[in-house]
Amino acid sequence: MTGIETPLILYAKLILLTMVPFVLASQGTMLGGRTGVFNVAQEGIMLVSASIGFLVSFYSKSLTIGVISAMLVGGLFGLALAYFTTHLKMDQFVIGLALFFIGVGLSTLLPKLMIGVTLTPPLIPTLKDIPIPLLSKIPFIGEIFFNQNILVYGAVLVSVFLWWFLYKTSFGLSLRSTGEYPQAADSLGISVTTMRYLTAIVGGALIGIAGVYLPMVYTGTFTDGMVKGRGWLAIALTFFGGWKPINILIGSLFFAGIEVLSYKVQVSGSGIPYQFLLMLPYLATILVMVFTFKRSTIPGFLGQNYDREKRSL
Amino acid sequence: MADTPILVMKGIRKTFDKSVALDDVSFELNAREIHGLLGGNGAGKTTLMNILYGLYKKDSGEISLHEKKINISSPRDALHKHIGMVHQHFLQITSFTVLENIVLGTEIHNKYSMDLSVEATKIQALQNRFNLAVDLNISIGDLPMGTRQKVEILKALYRGAEILILDEPTTNLTPQEVDDLFKSLRVMVDQDLSIVFITHKLREVLSVCDRISVLRNGRNVVTLKRDEANEEAFVRGMVGDEMDIQNSVIFSRGKSGQIGAEHIRAEVCLHLDQVQLASQGSVPRLKDISFKLRHGEILGIAGVAGNGQRDLAEVILGITLPTGGKVELDAKDILAMPTNQRLESGIAYIPEDRLLDGFLPKASVAHNLILGFHRKAPYSSGGFINWNTVHRTAAELIKTYNIKTSGPSDVGGNLSGGNIQRVLIARAFSKPANLLVAHNPTRGLDIPSMDFVYSRILEEKKKGLATLLISEDLDELLLLCDRIAVLYRGELVGTLDRSKFEKYEIGRMMSGYRAEE
Repeated sequence: MTGIETPLILYAKLILLTMVPFVLASQGTMLGGRTGVFNVAQEGIMLVSASIGFLVSFYSKSLTIGVISAMLVGGLFGLALAYFTTHLKMDQFVIGLALFFIGVGLSTLLPKLMIGVTLTPPLIPTLKDIPIPLLSKIPFIGEIFFNQNILVYGAVLVSVFLWWFLYKTSFGLSLRSTGEYPQAADSLGISVTTMRYLTAIVGGALIGIAGVYLPMVYTGTFTDGMVKGRGWLAIALTFFGGWKPINILIGSLFFAGIEVLSYKVQVSGSGIPYQFLLMLPYLATILVMVFTFKRSTIPGFLGQNYDREKRSL
Repeated sequence: MADTPILVMKGIRKTFDKSVALDDVSFELNAREIHGLLGGNGAGKTTLMNILYGLYKKDSGEISLHEKKINISSPRDALHKHIGMVHQHFLQITSFTVLENIVLGTEIHNKYSMDLSVEATKIQALQNRFNLAVDLNISIGDLPMGTRQKVEILKALYRGAEILILDEPTTNLTPQEVDDLFKSLRVMVDQDLSIVFITHKLREVLSVCDRISVLRNGRNVVTLKRDEANEEAFVRGMVGDEMDIQNSVIFSRGKSGQIGAEHIRAEVCLHLDQVQLASQGSVPRLKDISFKLRHGEILGIAGVAGNGQRDLAEVILGITLPTGGKVELDAKDILAMPTNQRLESGIAYIPEDRLLDGFLPKASVAHNLILGFHRKAPYSSGGFINWNTVHRTAAELIKTYNIKTSGPSDVGGNLSGGNIQRVLIARAFSKPANLLVAHNPTRGLDIPSMDFVYSRILEEKKKGLATLLISEDLDELLLLCDRIAVLYRGELVGTLDRSKFEKYEIGRMMSGYRAEE
């Protein structure tokens, strides 16, 4: 280590760090959407996973167990979404919104019940940077890319894995077919129900990790409403990235960049209201959708339930 | 040909909520035969085969294959038993390539890299064997209907189908493509396949099938060998005793030479001049459409679905505004007129998609019958609807048009497809009109209902009604029209007079060849 760290390197490193919740929550959304399950409860799932993940880490003194518990919570919410929409054929948006509110409610209730109101917040240790041998020694790049916490590496690996899984395996082809045209998939013996359960649960688990990342990396504690709209942004980001894993990864760099910029603006006193910057990702998403509308890559049956015996006149 | 059946379905019953779709239906398929399953819409043909393919669960009944009782509860089971089905609406994923569509859901040799060369070679062998050439690497949404059909058949063959079910396979095909399909079917049967051919078109079963079973209202009517049967028996089987075949439009029109050309008057009713409709992208949706339609004339617009038929109808109704050209009704420019005024000034419209554009499933039958006229006398005065008049008129229309419903206040959604169409027709004809724009007016109707629609159109023609009949059913156009124009990619590629009607010529034009002048 030369000891020379320019602000630019710190800034780049911070963007990668900030990218993780966007990447994981959006990949989770994308995965469910690829089979037709449109999750809109990200904000709530992230909050409740952050809350429970934090509590479990606090009591078990293990961040690993905390992450696992957040995955389970996220997966459970995904399971609920899948059950209500595939088995009971209820409207996906209505169920998604209900799960959002349940998540928000539980996230504030549980810490109050278990810890109560304290003057100093209970703290857990935050995730440590893990330098990768050799690679982290590369000037500039090493510090930015190879000296990060484990979930930064994980988020990139998950994205690459999902790309390979969806586009380079026969299982991925079957999976995508259920979101494009479930009738076609069903007629070829592919179980639409199984695929939807699977992706809703795994997608929910990814969103869960995205939630617990916040107390584990940013604050060391859980505070009410700490997700601050990142869940909603994840939906926008999924559209921004055209429901494609690699594009989502790239898009999340942009979203993270704006988040970091908005912090900088707040402390610099430049006169630009930071709320304006927070609006930019949504604006960018709308612009991207306007211009790519013709070549829309949104799954054909996104948000629509499938009923084999439903007759169309 | 072995006469022992390889497949037997016995006593099949299926209900949807309260309506009985199939009642004690039996069906037998022999080895190496093409078995036609004939019947009007709602007869239960598709339901029966969907049960065989595992898409629907039967309420009761037995299925046995090779003399062994089997249980099929999903398409996966059916595929395992070597039963394949080609659905009327292709079950294809338009963003996938042909190759991906064919191998979807099967074991893939290189399943962790999606290198599909092994599969492509297998498929090419099938293509050669059954004469079904398709480029495998094209995105399937870019292919014409006839080619997409071949892909559906290849999908079934690739999964090792020995019994192949084809549901209305000739919908959307040109006559040439139909001939090619029939040739391929013969090759398949010669190579040990057995085929079930579902259709409502009598001529098709007679030209390709070895045996024919007729269904009506969810019941078996008759099963006959092709060479033992005459046309009359099948017609009677399909329509039952309710219909007067001798005096029907479908079975008697043209036989006496009378086609109604004498009713065509000199005055032009509808005149389109150089009508253009540019789409948001690059391809124009309508290009240089010009024609004159006279009073008392029926002009048919033929073409494969999706070539601009809907845009044409909507431009005439004012639902879509053209980007160029003129539309005149009785020599008056109507371009500036909004749709409701056009309807008031004498245009009647039967839209293509009855559920989307023409019917309110949650409103009552009476509401539906006056929809669009509800703001005018006699139904409305001073902004209030006069329900007594509405119900009285509705009751009369229900009687005249033979709509099967419990009464004017019955909920629209309770009606069957055929009866919904009768409501739309009653509405279109319930007030004086001089132009009728009818888009696929008989799609999904049973034969008596179809005949009813035809006879109404012909009756109004005598009174001077000009009809623009936009239809994807070529037989319907050939039966009714004085002239047929063919629409291809938003352009009229030619117009033929009745004396020059020729199925194959129209088929050529439907695939884009211009008429020989």
